[in-house]
Amino acid sequence: MKLPEKSLALAVAISVMVLIMGAVGYLVIKGAESSRSDIPVLGEVPAFDFIDSSNRHFGNNELHGKINVIDFFFTSCRGPCPIMSANMAELYQLFKDEKRIRFVSISVDPEIDTPVILRDYASNFGVMDDRWIFLNGAIENVELLSEQGFHLAAEGLPSMHSTKFILVDDKGRIRGYYSGTDDSSIKILIRDIHQLYHQLQ
Amino acid sequence: MRGFWRFALMATVATYLLIFIGGVVRVSGAGLGCPDWPKCFGRWLPPTNMDQLPPNIDPSQFNFTLAWIEYFNRLCGVAVGVLILITAIWALKSFRKFPKILYPALAAAVLVALEGWQGGILIALELQPLAVTIHAVLALIIVSLLIYLTAQAYYLENAPRNESVYPKKINYWIGSLWILAVIQILLGTQIRSSIEIIRAQYPLLSELEWLSKVGGLKHLHVTLGFLVAGITGHVGSKIISKSSQPFRIVIQSAWAAIFLVSAQLLVGLILLFVGLPPLMEVFHLWLASLYVGVILVNYSALKASSGE
Repeated sequence: MKLPEKSLALAVAISVMVLIMGAVGYLVIKGAESSRSDIPVLGEVPAFDFIDSSNRHFGNNELHGKINVIDFFFTSCRGPCPIMSANMAELYQLFKDEKRIRFVSISVDPEIDTPVILRDYASNFGVMDDRWIFLNGAIENVELLSEQGFHLAAEGLPSMHSTKFILVDDKGRIRGYYSGTDDSSIKILIRDIHQLYHQLQ
Repeated sequence: MRGFWRFALMATVATYLLIFIGGVVRVSGAGLGCPDWPKCFGRWLPPTNMDQLPPNIDPSQFNFTLAWIEYFNRLCGVAVGVLILITAIWALKSFRKFPKILYPALAAAVLVALEGWQGGILIALELQPLAVTIHAVLALIIVSLLIYLTAQAYYLENAPRNESVYPKKINYWIGSLWILAVIQILLGTQIRSSIEIIRAQYPLLSELEWLSKVGGLKHLHVTLGFLVAGITGHVGSKIISKSSQPFRIVIQSAWAAIFLVSAQLLVGLILLFVGLPPLMEVFHLWLASLYVGVILVNYSALKASSGE
């Protein structure tokens, strides 16, 4: 108190420092936000026309207006598919309140996986509505979509199908690939879905 | 011996800065900006382009901004660690006969090393909420030790006259405020963890909606917050107006506590009603750490100047 000038100078110095910290902190947080929100566009989903488990047509146009998570599987698969579908089912439950997020599983064994079989498989995973769709299409078209559409290996289908989850945005553009059997990759998928979802509004 | 308290003060200020930076890392979601530790993507300086990524890393995992935010925190951590180490060595050389300076300095040096190591565990555990809480609590303990030893070293050079008389039992009140503040900080980190869990369950809701699901803990935190503010205002003004020949530091720290608790209340209400703006979250924890430090200074200054 002997030196009010000194105390005043100290108070001003501290305030300026806190303001600078706040400003820098704000910029860093904003920078981090925008660095996350630019999820790159990796390509466009080409035209396809399959049928779902209720025998309705489902093509690339149906992807529009929603955020889509797509994978390839087959119902009699003993390898990674049960894990993939279980992970997909968890996502399906997680986003149960949001109709604009959709899951699409495409069979790589269309001869066996008829719409009836697909319907059974779906109900085993607790699918109750159109938020998770199971597709059946001619094997050569499925191969074409996997290899040329999504750039995923499709040699030796059905057993050698890819285990990736593919994120497709509301304009039918591919935004990311995630391992369908790895929890930490799925965490990143959830974060990216969140990010795309907030850009929808 | 001369200059020691100034150096210790510098280490304390640097630690407070680091706590702020750590908070920014947390809210900007950069905690896993480097997936490995102590290196970042296998390098001593984070990669600046995709070519520098090691082959076993998925390029889609790499975010240049987040990696550097996290790495800056680590660099500052190392700098603060060195400052604290020097403080401890200095204390060992010149203050062996002053346990109030020596022991906190040694403890701070051990704990800051532990803090760095625990930071690596935190990343291995992918920011598990309890591990994050431990990281923050350790930082608070370290900064408390530093601020305490700085005050003690300052009193050595600027010995207070032992003639001050303060309102009766005021040191018990200050002690209670310290305990309440620590409880508040722990409650706050608990709320932060439950928001994290709620967020994982309802990823698409807004911050205000997450907050509305927190429940009881939040009400307790708010109620206690008002209580701490009320007691601080009451006790602080009593110290300021009812002491005779008080030590300057006691009065200054009382004012600082009143100022900090008001700022904290304001920030807390902003969090509650505006919906967790990230920068305000950082300031909320940071102001709390400053408050705890100021209360410690006040307590030690009361003791040093009232002849106890």
